[in-house]
Amino acid sequence: MQSSAANLLVLVPLLPLLGAIGTVLLGRRLGPRAHLPAVAGIGAAAVVALLLLLGTAAQVGAGHGDPLRPAEPVEMITTLWQWATVGDARSGDLAGSLSAPVAPGAADSGGTFSIPIALRLDPLTATLLTIITGVGLLVAIYSIGYMHDDPGYPRFFALVAMFVFSMSMLVAASNFLLVYVFWEAVGACSYLLIGFWYTKPEAARAAKKAFLVNRVGDFGLAIATFLLWMTYGTLDFHDTHLADGTIVEGILGQIRLADEAGYVGGAVGTAICLLMLLAACGKSAQMPLHVWLPDAMEGPTPASALIHAATMVTAGIYLITRSAPLFVGCPGALTMVSIVGATTALVAALIATVQNDLKRVLAYSTISQLGYMFVALGTGTMLGFTAAIFHLVTHAFFKALLFLGAGSVMHAMGGVIDMRRFGGLRHVMPITAGTFLVGAFALAGVPPFAGFFSKDEILATLHAKAHPEAHGSDHAEAGSAGERPRDSSAQLGDAALRPFRPASMTTRSSRRGATGEHGSTAEKVGLDALDHPSTWRLLFWMSLLTAGLTAFYTFRAVFMTFTGPVRVPKEAGHHAHESPPAMTTPLLVLAVLSALAGLVLFVTNALSNFLAATPSLTAPAVARTAVPHVFHWDIAIQGTLAAAIGIAVAAIGHLGRRSDSPQLERYLGPLGTLFANKFYFDQIYAALIVKPLEALAMLTAFFDRAIVDGTVDAIGQVPLAWGSAIRRMQSGLVQRYALAGVVGVLAIVLALAWQLRP
Amino acid sequence: MIPATMLTNALLVGAVLFCLGLVGILTRRNLIVMFLSAELMLQGVSVTLVAWSRYHGDWGGQVLVVFVLTVAACEAAVALVFVLQAFASTGRLDASAWQALREENLPRVIDHELPADDRVVPTWPHLSPAGVVPEGDDSRSLERDHV
Amino acid sequence: MDPVSTATVSPSGLLLAGSVAALAASLWLLLPKASDTVASRRLGFLLGAVALVGFAATGRSLGCVGEDAVFLTVAGIAVISGLATIVTRSPVYSAIWFAMTLAGVSGVLLVLGAQFLGVATIVVYAGAILVMFLFVLMLAQPSGMAPYDRVSNEPMLAAAAGAVLLGLLTLSIGRLSAAEPPACCRMPSRAQALAAAAAPADGAATKDDESTTLIAPAMAGGDTGDANEVAHLGAELFGRHLFAVEVAGVLLLVALVGAIAVVSRGEATETDHRREGR
Repeated sequence: MQSSAANLLVLVPLLPLLGAIGTVLLGRRLGPRAHLPAVAGIGAAAVVALLLLLGTAAQVGAGHGDPLRPAEPVEMITTLWQWATVGDARSGDLAGSLSAPVAPGAADSGGTFSIPIALRLDPLTATLLTIITGVGLLVAIYSIGYMHDDPGYPRFFALVAMFVFSMSMLVAASNFLLVYVFWEAVGACSYLLIGFWYTKPEAARAAKKAFLVNRVGDFGLAIATFLLWMTYGTLDFHDTHLADGTIVEGILGQIRLADEAGYVGGAVGTAICLLMLLAACGKSAQMPLHVWLPDAMEGPTPASALIHAATMVTAGIYLITRSAPLFVGCPGALTMVSIVGATTALVAALIATVQNDLKRVLAYSTISQLGYMFVALGTGTMLGFTAAIFHLVTHAFFKALLFLGAGSVMHAMGGVIDMRRFGGLRHVMPITAGTFLVGAFALAGVPPFAGFFSKDEILATLHAKAHPEAHGSDHAEAGSAGERPRDSSAQLGDAALRPFRPASMTTRSSRRGATGEHGSTAEKVGLDALDHPSTWRLLFWMSLLTAGLTAFYTFRAVFMTFTGPVRVPKEAGHHAHESPPAMTTPLLVLAVLSALAGLVLFVTNALSNFLAATPSLTAPAVARTAVPHVFHWDIAIQGTLAAAIGIAVAAIGHLGRRSDSPQLERYLGPLGTLFANKFYFDQIYAALIVKPLEALAMLTAFFDRAIVDGTVDAIGQVPLAWGSAIRRMQSGLVQRYALAGVVGVLAIVLALAWQLRP
Repeated sequence: MIPATMLTNALLVGAVLFCLGLVGILTRRNLIVMFLSAELMLQGVSVTLVAWSRYHGDWGGQVLVVFVLTVAACEAAVALVFVLQAFASTGRLDASAWQALREENLPRVIDHELPADDRVVPTWPHLSPAGVVPEGDDSRSLERDHV
Repeated sequence: MDPVSTATVSPSGLLLAGSVAALAASLWLLLPKASDTVASRRLGFLLGAVALVGFAATGRSLGCVGEDAVFLTVAGIAVISGLATIVTRSPVYSAIWFAMTLAGVSGVLLVLGAQFLGVATIVVYAGAILVMFLFVLMLAQPSGMAPYDRVSNEPMLAAAAGAVLLGLLTLSIGRLSAAEPPACCRMPSRAQALAAAAAPADGAATKDDESTTLIAPAMAGGDTGDANEVAHLGAELFGRHLFAVEVAGVLLLVALVGAIAVVSRGEATETDHRREGR
């Protein structure tokens, strides 16, 4: 089982890679059938991923039924080859001072820095692989219809297959450096797909923006990786059994997970977590790095659906979930995750209410929903992590559905995506309208569609944090979780007052303290002070408000696009009809999934039980927060009420009316302007970062041209001056040359004679 | 074997001839005279070689002079052909006529003041005709007044 | 002017410096120039004579110049004709003066005891090469003197360079005879050594062993100035230097073919030029 699963696991990234290479090599020859290698590769990978999911589920099996009993971690590691090995990487004085905070496992590694190309299979990876390849396959099939006649047809499929390869490697990699590599790789694919129509200036600019903003986050991940290496002495997730019998403890390996004191808290731990949060913010478009995602809609709509809605933007969620034990040790950082998520969710939802571009509404909606997932992650409880992944799965379905639906509309409208310019399209394209409506219900959180259940779980986990006493009976175990945060807050309190190096020394001592010496005496200081029920209460209400707004803007879009009198823009021409089957089939599949996945997964609780066997979530600090699987009627009613109010307001404003007139926006006044300008984020960045950088660039350019180039040119003038002086001797008269030679010989002979004189 | 004084005598003669040839090849502009000067230098070298050969009682020097003669003959043949070619293209035997090797924006070196031809035209002796001038038909003359 | 002579301030050094200066001035005066006058030419000849006497005297004082009257005569002919070769304006006269030089050099060679080379110089140079020069002159410059024959290229600098070079050579030759035998020449003559080794069997070998007669005399020839000079030189040429002789023959052939090839290619244009001219 182990080996065959491992072999199969290699196939998941490999097949799309082969598809990409095949498309590149054969694309021109295949012509209109250039999609074949890519679609075949992704499809085969999807089948393999599904098999792996079933296999892993069978292996997890034992954990079913009793959520309170910690699940046995399930993981399979395949090491393909050693990528890089640096012996004795820690030698030297620097290592001496830095090895102080090293966790026990680091000493065993002997200071050897080695990066294995290792893939892992665990419930989290299996789930995400299935989503990536499954949605990837549906989007690829959809693209066959959407992208036809595009001159870059083979290029598109090569890039999509390449993306699926990179993304599956990202979630399957078992090493932080590999994660970083493929983190960059998916960013590169995203860049290339946003700028797919590179002759369009907006697309090129949007691609550049996405790349640069992501770079800020990637920087955070790079620093976090360095810190991890310095702190833990390895970058592997898993434990490695060396040939000589020693064991290198992986950061997320079984040994360290079982150890209550296995993770460094304090300043270093918080720094690592905050840097990871920065990386996650960049990739998952959270505030303040969310500005690239709306612009990324300049890319082809299938790419938007796949990369900028369903998969790549969830890399941040994946990273935080994977690093859950690290985060749980730093409650301050964890709370920051929630705060960032809730703020982003609310702000993005507010902006989405006044957008007129259908794809932009969906883009802001994506940002908002990702914020939701961050809120859930930030609770740091088992329910929070599973809820985030649950929402990730359902969101992948319904947001891909909505994007593909929007693409279908755009395809039919001849590229027009401004909702004010069309309306009543349910008469023109009924399948698109129906499936879009299903997606809208799911997004708005209307029971029993998928979004309702996942959103309900997120709200429930927030509610539990906000009212620990109310849930005390349900969450008998939750109280014990409070201990650890308090311990680590003591570490931070100690560490925050000292410079870095002594701080790292202190960290070790306070880690010893965590075992019971003077742990519980300190107050919560600094960032950790945020972890307070009142904070969570605020976050809960923000999330509830966001739920209402989500329902509002979703149905505003639905009403503007699909109801009212039929209006079709000129650009549509003869195109204004239902899309071809290649496009509607994925829509139908996704609609079914959006409608049913939530219900099935919630009722059976299969996903939560399955994910609980992920090694990262079996850490005692996470596992002990597990609660029984219950349906919270009160929260469900609140959520549904919020959605209903939102839909009602949208119906009052837009149902059945001409969609080209502003309806509710006019009542917002200056707030409307604020929302319409996206809270002036772009302008603030332009003023604070872009303009100063441009000024600096102009200054350095001036320095380069005037001083550096000037010096070089001046040096270049010297031989020129010499040359122009000496060139006069080049008269062309051979006898003068000969004379010069004779004079030179004479000078040498004279000098010799002078030296050899008696 | 020759005495040392004879050796130095001959060496001095060789040196003088060599230097004269050198000056000639550096200054004279007529290609033919330049070649004559080169041959003069070769003569100087030949004298020196023979002197050393005789001084040491070694035939090598004289053998070398034989080859110098050979090479001089070859050189003269080939060089004169080139001189003729050069003359065919410029109409002059002037070494300074070939200035194409100069830097491209330098002006051509031109002799501004050429000395007047100060040759005295000799008055050849004029013999008075003896006898009678034969009657001839100018039209049947082999001489042509035009070419 | 001459650092070497000023460094060793001595009567001979001063004389040498004066000779060098006189030679340079003489050459400058004699070389064709725009500003030539009859007086300047005469002064030049005078200075040249002074310079030659000066060099001879320097050589004498340094122990270079012997008392062989015949040698002095032929050497004087060679040197004066050489000077005339390079200063004469008309190239035809130059060629004729060069013939005189050849005669002088030939005499020098004869005095030195190289009979074959003396004769060969006359035959090859005067008989073949010089005639070729004259033919070319006849073809190219039938009118005699051309304007460029009446000016020369950088006369002062070239004359000075030549004179200084001659001064240096004279000085080094003088030092050669002053430190007799010169260090570079102290090695025993290979011929002498061979002669010493072969002395007992000398007479018998030349007469008895016909197969060695071609080479043996050359190897054993203690005195290269003996009556069989030509025979010895020939034996040396076709014995030790046979390969070089063959190569020289090939060289001659190549030069012949090359000259013909170049001429025949250029002939067409030449003919065209002439045709257009007429």
